[in-house]
Amino acid sequence: MINRFAAALLLATASHAGAVGTAAAEPGITETEILIGDVEPLTGPPALLGVAASIGHKIAIAEANAAGGINGRKIRYVLEDDGYVTARTIQGARKIVDVDKVFAMVGLSGSGQSIAAMPVLEKAGIPTVIDVAPVKPLWEPPRKNVFIVGQSYEEGIKHLVAFLADKNPGKKWGLITQDDDYGIAVHDGFDSMVKPKKLSVVYSGSYKKGQQDFSSEMLQLKDAGVEVFLAGGIIAENVAMMKELEKLNVKPVTGIFWPGRIEPVLKLIGPAGDGIYAVDYVEPFAGEAGKAFLEKAKALVSEAEFKGINRYTMAGYAAAKVLIAAIGRCGKDPTWACTIAELEKTSNVETGVMAPISFGSGVRFSNQKLKIMQADFSTLSFKPVD
Amino acid sequence: MRTGDFKETYGELVALTDSPPVWLWSAVLLLALILAPYILNSYALSFMIMILITVVGALGLNILTGYTGLISLGHVGFLVTGAYAYAIAVSKYGLPPVAGFVAAGVVPAVASLIVGTPSLRLKGLYLAITTLAFSFIINTLILEARWLTNGARGIAVQRPILFGVSFDSDAAFTYLCLGFALAALLATLNIRRSRVGRAFVAIRDNDTAARVMGINLHAYKLIAFATSAFVTGLAGALYGIYLSFVSVEGFPFLLSIEALAILIVGGLGSALGAVLGTVLIVLLPEVTRLLFNLFSAQMDAMFTTGAQELKSMLYGLVIILFLRFQPRGLVGAWHDIRRFWVHWPLRY
Repeated sequence: MINRFAAALLLATASHAGAVGTAAAEPGITETEILIGDVEPLTGPPALLGVAASIGHKIAIAEANAAGGINGRKIRYVLEDDGYVTARTIQGARKIVDVDKVFAMVGLSGSGQSIAAMPVLEKAGIPTVIDVAPVKPLWEPPRKNVFIVGQSYEEGIKHLVAFLADKNPGKKWGLITQDDDYGIAVHDGFDSMVKPKKLSVVYSGSYKKGQQDFSSEMLQLKDAGVEVFLAGGIIAENVAMMKELEKLNVKPVTGIFWPGRIEPVLKLIGPAGDGIYAVDYVEPFAGEAGKAFLEKAKALVSEAEFKGINRYTMAGYAAAKVLIAAIGRCGKDPTWACTIAELEKTSNVETGVMAPISFGSGVRFSNQKLKIMQADFSTLSFKPVD
Repeated sequence: MRTGDFKETYGELVALTDSPPVWLWSAVLLLALILAPYILNSYALSFMIMILITVVGALGLNILTGYTGLISLGHVGFLVTGAYAYAIAVSKYGLPPVAGFVAAGVVPAVASLIVGTPSLRLKGLYLAITTLAFSFIINTLILEARWLTNGARGIAVQRPILFGVSFDSDAAFTYLCLGFALAALLATLNIRRSRVGRAFVAIRDNDTAARVMGINLHAYKLIAFATSAFVTGLAGALYGIYLSFVSVEGFPFLLSIEALAILIVGGLGSALGAVLGTVLIVLLPEVTRLLFNLFSAQMDAMFTTGAQELKSMLYGLVIILFLRFQPRGLVGAWHDIRRFWVHWPLRY
C-alpha cells in the first residue's frame, strides 16, 4: 500500500518538477521565468499576517514584472500554505525547494516555523530573505544564505519603553505578555529597561495564547493603579484588554507592538483606542510614504487583496524588493552564489516603506530603524509622533 | 489455495502470521521501504518520514485506545513530553542520543502513571477529559519551567549520531525512523499476542468480566498507560528531531485528534489498521492535491494556498464516510477483500 502511494507520489512530483522547466543550470530559472517561493499561514487566525505578507511580495513582484521583470525574465511567485503548523512549514519549504525548484525564497511564516525551516534552507543553500517574524535565532549565528529584514521584538519594546518613560516620568507601569517566544522577547526587552529608566512596575502578568477574557487581569491592573500600560497582545487580545479597561473606566497611557499595529484593530477597539502608542519599523499608512504605497498597490493587486493589506504587506514588499534587486544585479545568468553575494552587498536600499535596508559581510540582519506612532480613532490610522 | 484456518497448537494460534505469502509481501514491502530513500526526492521523503514517525505515535495510542479501550484525548501531552525529554537530555545536558531516546520513553511513561491513576476509576468520556486536561497541564508546566525547558523559546535539536553513524541526511534519518517504526510495530504486535495484550483486550471488552477472570485492573491499566506513553514519547523525540526545534507550539492539540482519526480510519485495535490509517491520513491531502492537479492548475493553486482548511475538511469527510460505511476501518475493508478473494466464487 505504502509502495503504491510512494510510487504515485514520486510519479506526480516528478511530472510536476518537469513542468517547471530545464533551461538554466540554477533551479527556478527558465528562458522566460524566475521562480520565487514562499510558505505562509494562509488559513486560520495567523492568516491575517501570512496573507498580508504574501500580498506585499506580490506587489513587489508585480511591480518588477511591469518594469520588464529581472533582466527580461518574468518573476513567478510560488506560495504554500502551512496553516501555522511547524511540520507543514518544513514540508512546504521542502516542496518549494525540491519539487517546485524555485530560485529564491522570501517571507516564511511565523518565528517558530521559520526557525524550524532553517536546516532545510541552510542545507539547500537557497538565497532567502525573511520578513514576517524577525527573531534572533534567525540571524544569530548568521547563516550564509539567509537574510532578515526587520527589527527584533526586544529592541522594539526598549524603544517604546524609552519613549513612554521620558514622556511619563514617575508613573506606575503595568505589562501583560503572551506565553510564547514573542511574549518572552517582549518581557525580556521590558525588563532590561526597568533599571535604566527607573520604572516603578506595579503589575506584570502573562496570558495563555488564545485567551479571550481579560476581566481578571484588567481588574488587577486597575487595583494596582497602573498609569502606563504595555499591552503585549496581538489582535483579539489587545481588543479584549482595551474593551475591558473601557468598561472599568480606566484609561492608562497604552503602548502596543507591531504585531498588533493593524488598522482594523482600532475599529474593533473603538474610541478607547484613541491615543494608543505603537512602535514599528514600517511606515504608517497615514503618512506620506504609506499613502504612496497604497496608491501603488491599488494598481497592482486585486480589490480583495487590497483589502487584506496591513503592515506585514509593507514588510513583505521591502523584503521582496531587496531580493529582486539582488537577483537583478547578477545580470542575465543569476546564480545562488551571486545572489547571496549581492544580498550581502545590499547597502541603503530604499524601499519607500521603511528606513533604507543594509546587510554586510557576515551581517544578515537589517536592524531597521524604529518609529513611534499614535492611533487616531477619527481616521482609524496610526500617525508618526517622533 | 487456502480454504480456512485450522489451528492445531497454541503456538499457531498466537503466531504473527501462518501465511507464507504474508511474510513474502512483508519482505517485499520492507525492501521497498529500504530502497525508497535512494529513489524519492527530499519532499516525497519528508512524507515518508512523517508517516514513519506518525506510525510510531499511532501504534502507541493504539495500545491504550485500541487494545485496552481507554480513550485518550491528550496523547499529544506524551508526545511533547518525549520530545522535551530528548531535547533536554541531548541538547541541554549533552547526553548521548541513546540516553535521549531512553529519556524520551521513560519520562512520558512515568508521567502517564500520574494521569493513568484516575483511569482506575474513570472510563469513557470522563477519562478522555482527564487526559485532555493532562495535555494542557503538561504544556503549562513546560512553559513555566523555563530553567529546564527554555519556556516558550524552545530548544534546538540536532540530528543524532548513534553508534558512530550520523543521521544528519534525510535518507539516513528516514532509516532511523524506519527502525523505530518497525520496532514499534513488532513490539505492539507481540504485546497483543502476549498475556499482557490479552489482558488489555479483556479489559476493553468488559472490565468487570476481566476482573472476575483474575485480571488486576489497576496494574494492567497502568501498564497500558505506561507502555502507550513510552512508545508515543519515542515518536515525540523523532518528531522533535524532524522539526529541529522543540517548542510547545510545534505540538498543537490537533495532533491528538489526528491520532484518534488515524485509529478510527485504520481500524481500532489493530496494528495494521494504525499503519494503514497513518498512510491514508498523512498522504490524503497531498494525493488529493496531485489528483486535482491533473485536471486543473487552478485546483492545485487552491490546495496550496488553502491547504490547511481543505485538509481539515478532508479529514472530517473521511472520518464521516468511514464511520458510516466502514466502521471497522481500512483493516476491516482489507479483511473483506481478502475474504472475498479466498472464498470466491462462494460468498462466505
